[in-house]
Amino acid sequence: MNLANKDITTAYGEALVEVGEAYPNVVVLDADLADSCKTESFHKTFPERAFDLGVAEQSLPTIAAGLALVGKIPFYNSFAVFSVSRGVDMIRQSVVYNQANVKIVGHGAGQSIGYTGPSHHTVEDISILRALPGLVILSPCDAVETQQMVWEMAAYDGPMYLRLVRATVPNVHKPDYQFEIGKTERLLEGSDISIYVTGDLVTLALELHAVLREEGISAQVVNVPTIKPLAKEQITRHGELTSGAITIEDHNIYGGLGSAVAEIYAESLLKPLARLGIPDTFTESDDAMILRIAYGINIDNAISKARSIISSV
Amino acid sequence: MKRALSLTKDRKKIQELMLNSLAHRRKLLNLGHDPTIRLHYGATLSAVEILTALYMLWMNINPKDPSWNDRDRFILSKGHAAPSLYITLSMLGFFPEDEFQNFRRLNSKLQGHPDRHKTPGVDCSSGSLGQGFPVACGMALGAIIDDASYKVYTLISDGECNEGSTWEAALIASNLKIDKLILLLDWNKKSSYGTMKGRNDIEPLAEKWQAFGWRVFKCDGHDFISLTQALAQAESVRDQPSIILCNTIKGKGLPYAEKHHTSSNFALTEEQYQEAITHLDALEKQIEDEPS
Repeated sequence: MNLANKDITTAYGEALVEVGEAYPNVVVLDADLADSCKTESFHKTFPERAFDLGVAEQSLPTIAAGLALVGKIPFYNSFAVFSVSRGVDMIRQSVVYNQANVKIVGHGAGQSIGYTGPSHHTVEDISILRALPGLVILSPCDAVETQQMVWEMAAYDGPMYLRLVRATVPNVHKPDYQFEIGKTERLLEGSDISIYVTGDLVTLALELHAVLREEGISAQVVNVPTIKPLAKEQITRHGELTSGAITIEDHNIYGGLGSAVAEIYAESLLKPLARLGIPDTFTESDDAMILRIAYGINIDNAISKARSIISSV
Repeated sequence: MKRALSLTKDRKKIQELMLNSLAHRRKLLNLGHDPTIRLHYGATLSAVEILTALYMLWMNINPKDPSWNDRDRFILSKGHAAPSLYITLSMLGFFPEDEFQNFRRLNSKLQGHPDRHKTPGVDCSSGSLGQGFPVACGMALGAIIDDASYKVYTLISDGECNEGSTWEAALIASNLKIDKLILLLDWNKKSSYGTMKGRNDIEPLAEKWQAFGWRVFKCDGHDFISLTQALAQAESVRDQPSIILCNTIKGKGLPYAEKHHTSSNFALTEEQYQEAITHLDALEKQIEDEPS
């Protein structure tokens, strides 16, 4: 594995310019946060198709929908809490119901912009968006996967949401990795328990795998970069190999990755599953890593949940 | 044909459009001549001439090719007037009239509010107020990027001016100089639940739009000469978006609705229906008796 650290937002901004070169129809919209969203390079390179709407986030989905309905491929950007929650009805009615080819990009998702506090944390976006028919939800774990996703988003015709955390993370993927929409990726094999993870918490899953191995527990690690459509058949096959599972995400435990995988475990696999995520609460301000530990997304809690699953079967 | 109509030169065309509008109203009343069907008579009847002018005279469209790339676009931002949009599209041949037999039923092309995937000729799904207009801004922005020949028209209600999203889009359209967009406002002074004055007041409306950087035109929204004059003026504006405040009467042509101040959406009684048909018969005779 290539463990070079790279900032996910920077990787996104770089890929956006490259994709803009290849796709003349790509248009970028911002709402006064082009610096935080690293879209400034696109604005400088393609000023005729980059627009800052001002602090008007509920207009991002609607203006983007209009652009898409006349053949453009708009990527709109803001902090995830504004990209998603501020204009949920606009996303539902104007983007998804229209099946407009809009790329919603949520930056600083989860608790990753920690110090800004719960007003800016986004721990319910997956839950909200999963209920919209036909919307694809992507959540990359590193810079390589982020850049692959930007290319796939431009090539795919339909509404999509890209969930980006603000973090500098090790690349678990080599540059020749090929992301595919709707597929999971088994990073490590194991026969006792399955660990399903999305986003940069892949590193926690890899750490958990190593710790459990020391205890004689064999865990397979499955990266889930596409949360919707979820790879039901693949997850069922993965699940058949082990006796239970845990899920890890920087999101409310209600409605996110854990809930989505639990649906498959309850309906098809009939095996135990425990969710590691934010309990149903508003968070607080602090460093993002401190917050994750405080809200239970930490190695000790992960080990404890894994042990309880193993002992229950 | 994008020019203002003249009483002397276009008398026959105007008469034809007026008769089309009457036929439209009859179709609307007949659609609602069923005690199980409630329609927004107020909001649909006030928009009849606006839709007729846009679709039967002004916009470049082709009913045989609803997806024609260079067509003018239209979004019914006040999506609850969908029956009027459907009647207009059907009269132009976008789909057969018998589709109304399945109006708002399962597998129908005609949903309660416009659905671009189901109804030929509908450019954007709408229904949640305050969204069709910003989507139209996005379409017109796309036309500017492409230096395209088409324009984007959208019809909003005065009730939609209570939506914050309307004013966000108003600022954006002005800041981005979106001049390929013409916004028409069905200025009937009422929202669904009654008159806006003293309740959800949006006046002074013209001054508000001017203050947001728009060119503002006013017209009689039931008069084809006045409507087309305003459209011609709006078309000529550059580097600025334009709005036409169309003075209209909510429920125009349905005597009960014109007089009724508290509701737009209701089921017609037989008495109200008969009164309206008698009224339309008299209007039709009056138009036909005029020398063309």
